[in-house]
Amino acid sequence: MVDLIKRAKELIETSVVKVLIGYEQGTANKTRALFVEKADDADRLIFDSRCVQNLAAYVTKKEVKEKGKMAIAATLPVMRSIIQLASEFQVNDNNLLVLGITPESKLIEFANLVEVETFVHKYEIEIDARNKEMLDKLEKMTQAERWKFWMDELSPCFKCYACRAACPMCYCSRCTVDFNQPQWIPVPSHELGNLEWHIMRAIHLTGRCIDCDACYNACPLSIPINLLTKKMLADAKEHFGAYQPSLKGDHLMSTYKPDDKENFIQ
Amino acid sequence: MSKIGVFVCHCGENISATVDCAKVAETAGNYDGVAFSVDYKYMCSDPGQNLIKSAIKEKGLTGVVVASCSPRMHEPTFRKACAEAGLNPFMCEMANLREHCSWVHEKGEATTEKAIDLVRILVEKVKYNHSLNEIKVPVTKTALVIGGGIAGIQASLDIANTGHKVILIEKDPSIGGHMSQLSETFPTLDCSQCILTPRMVEVAQHPNITLYTYAELESLEGFIGNFKAKIRRKSKSIDEKLCTGCGQCTTKCPVKKIPSEFNEGLGKRTAIYVPFPQAVPNKPVIDRINCTYYIKGKCKVCEIVCPTKAIRFDQEDQIMEVEVGAIVIATGFTVKQPDFFPEYGYGKYPDVITGLQFERLASASGPTLGEIRRPSDDKVPEKIVFLACAGSRDPAKGIPYCSKICCMYIAKHAMLYQHKVHGGKSYVFYMDIRAGGKQYEEFVRRAIEDDGVNYVRGRVSRIYEKNGKLIVNGVDTLLNAMPVEIEADMVVLATAGIANEGAEELAQKLHISYDPYKFFAEAHPKLKPVETNTAGIFLAGACQAPRDIPESVAMASGAAVKVAGLFSQDELTREPIIAVVNRQAPPVYSSCVGCFLCVSACPYQAIEKEEIKNRNGELIKLIAKVNPGLCQGCGTCVAFCRTKSIDIQGYTHEQMYTEVMALLNEY
Repeated sequence: MVDLIKRAKELIETSVVKVLIGYEQGTANKTRALFVEKADDADRLIFDSRCVQNLAAYVTKKEVKEKGKMAIAATLPVMRSIIQLASEFQVNDNNLLVLGITPESKLIEFANLVEVETFVHKYEIEIDARNKEMLDKLEKMTQAERWKFWMDELSPCFKCYACRAACPMCYCSRCTVDFNQPQWIPVPSHELGNLEWHIMRAIHLTGRCIDCDACYNACPLSIPINLLTKKMLADAKEHFGAYQPSLKGDHLMSTYKPDDKENFIQ
Repeated sequence: MSKIGVFVCHCGENISATVDCAKVAETAGNYDGVAFSVDYKYMCSDPGQNLIKSAIKEKGLTGVVVASCSPRMHEPTFRKACAEAGLNPFMCEMANLREHCSWVHEKGEATTEKAIDLVRILVEKVKYNHSLNEIKVPVTKTALVIGGGIAGIQASLDIANTGHKVILIEKDPSIGGHMSQLSETFPTLDCSQCILTPRMVEVAQHPNITLYTYAELESLEGFIGNFKAKIRRKSKSIDEKLCTGCGQCTTKCPVKKIPSEFNEGLGKRTAIYVPFPQAVPNKPVIDRINCTYYIKGKCKVCEIVCPTKAIRFDQEDQIMEVEVGAIVIATGFTVKQPDFFPEYGYGKYPDVITGLQFERLASASGPTLGEIRRPSDDKVPEKIVFLACAGSRDPAKGIPYCSKICCMYIAKHAMLYQHKVHGGKSYVFYMDIRAGGKQYEEFVRRAIEDDGVNYVRGRVSRIYEKNGKLIVNGVDTLLNAMPVEIEADMVVLATAGIANEGAEELAQKLHISYDPYKFFAEAHPKLKPVETNTAGIFLAGACQAPRDIPESVAMASGAAVKVAGLFSQDELTREPIIAVVNRQAPPVYSSCVGCFLCVSACPYQAIEKEEIKNRNGELIKLIAKVNPGLCQGCGTCVAFCRTKSIDIQGYTHEQMYTEVMALLNEY
């Protein structure tokens, strides 16, 4: 990623941006986020197939935002997240510069978010074959079997909220689960409480989740919670049409369109 | 500590027949925070209300639960009683023991247990109630009437005559609607145009009415008393101020073969046209789809012949914004076309026509000047068949309802045919004759007995053409289902009355509900027939269901009174049951993160963005803010808000949670 390092140095040196978010080598052969504030730090930037963490999760963090204008080395899922965040008024052209990394690992610098949107819209959001198969399998289960599947999967969850921390869409200053007057979602990590938390999260992400799998990758127990969001993505697609994050603000779940099928209430 | 009063009503025997009211009152009396509990025969009666008032005063109650009927009818009664005794009316809650319990369950212990549960829920809720104040909003005393048929005309005139301003918009070039197309009207056979056109002229000349023809509603924002409507005035391609309506352009226009909408395709019109001679306003419009100039870029004959130079080819649609306080929807209906009926030839036989087309044939202003002639060859039909219920009352065709007006107009059609074609033979195939209405039955009897129309009770399975005749295969169910075959010269289908094309879209623009057939829904089928579920929007005429003229007029006058009633006040009082975005102490200010998904979810455009600034005027945070005038308290935003930053006053998260927990916890 010679191009990225060179460009990062220029951007920092000329003060176009105050901080650049990218990947660096972490411990145990893993990558982690790097926040480049000095030109020399840019040499630590890397990019390879291990870089799957969704860096868009950092652009809404107060600590990063406070530094000033940000730049981000963004893969396709990250760019999708950024467009969704922009449609929710969390980032804009004044505070974020996107250095896109195409699926062919080419670097593109976008002048503005509209260009990012155009680029992102070239690619459909598709659920991969392995997960699609898993969803079909779940669909074919009886209610009792499915209940058992989720109870088994979710009972080890100890609510570390790594999924929430890794998700770029979980930027709320107060999460529903932290809302305690009244405490709608139980905090203790028992089976039902876990189920309620993960269902609530999936519902809050419907029409917003861009299927980056960051939640699943972050889970220390590898619970397939991304199946819930994937199922919601598939259902939303079926009922309300193909989903693409868009700057127009025509949010999938909150905007009524005359051609919405609404089959489920007929 | 709360001091709550519980008042259990017997509702005569409506509740006490299945619920042990004394036990409910006794049990409730033992709950924490309940200071007074009593049961009484009629809580809504004067002595019943006095019971509440004196308890509030004597026991110093801080909250009241009335366990009686649904809040729909008597919530205002009990809130008023509380207010009169000095308690904030929103500290009063109702437990619905009648509709939700006594009426739907057998007498028994379980029924009483449920009643106790219902009371307990509300006792717990009312502990979290807060005093609320009513919201006052001003009223713009101008009405918008959409649709210039007889219903829209009547509503406009009635409202205008009470001294209020009316804006009437009509999508066609002239007002008059379907009524102007009719020949004669049942049950008196007076000429439709003769009674309608004076009203049309009155509309045009009324000082309180502003008429915009060729105009449609573009969008609507706001709420009762304070609507903002955008109206699209489609380009007529003429300067209305200069045009005198002399008619030179329409006579000289070279495009003369366009099927006339007014004549239901049986006559022709030009590209620049006035729909009919009595049109109001009597000024032409250019139909840009068919005009040679707009197609090929040359012609301009009308511009050359116009003596006042009123033609404006480059005129554009105008969007006009008006502020109105109430809206009457009178957009009318349409009829199914013959191409809907495969068994009657999919509309390929020119002599199988609709009832509305027959009106044009029978009309003195129609294409045949009132003579009944076949569209195919202009011959006078010697045998004519009328088919009732073409599409209507036919669940297989997706129209299970009765179109209501057909039985009467078929009798009229058959009668007119017999009057005009002496020696002609007419047949009516019917399922039932529905002639409920003043002088309606007598009218049908006249057709059968005096004018000799042959009524055959049965349906027609097929119509096909053979040797220039239309063969009608039917059955006479009064003669033991004997097959009937008639060689007819012409067939008139009383096709089903259906909602207008675009009715659904209009309903969505207006935020009103509609039924499965896209007719607009009234607020209550019996007691609120002209109101919609959206306050300040009323219905008149056939946009709500198929209606005849007297009914449309009556509905229009009814809607007009509702509007006049609304306009008789300078301010409206609204319930404070609205959404509120929370505010907290700095540095948080609000738990709202400003994603504004609520803005797109709100069906009333009631959510705005609020800037929170520091003392130097720098923006700290952008959060959602609910406009209390616009919010209807539907709660959609509450459900959408991930951070739970929005609450409905009177139905807060805390109150809802308390209710649920009160139901789940053992007592």
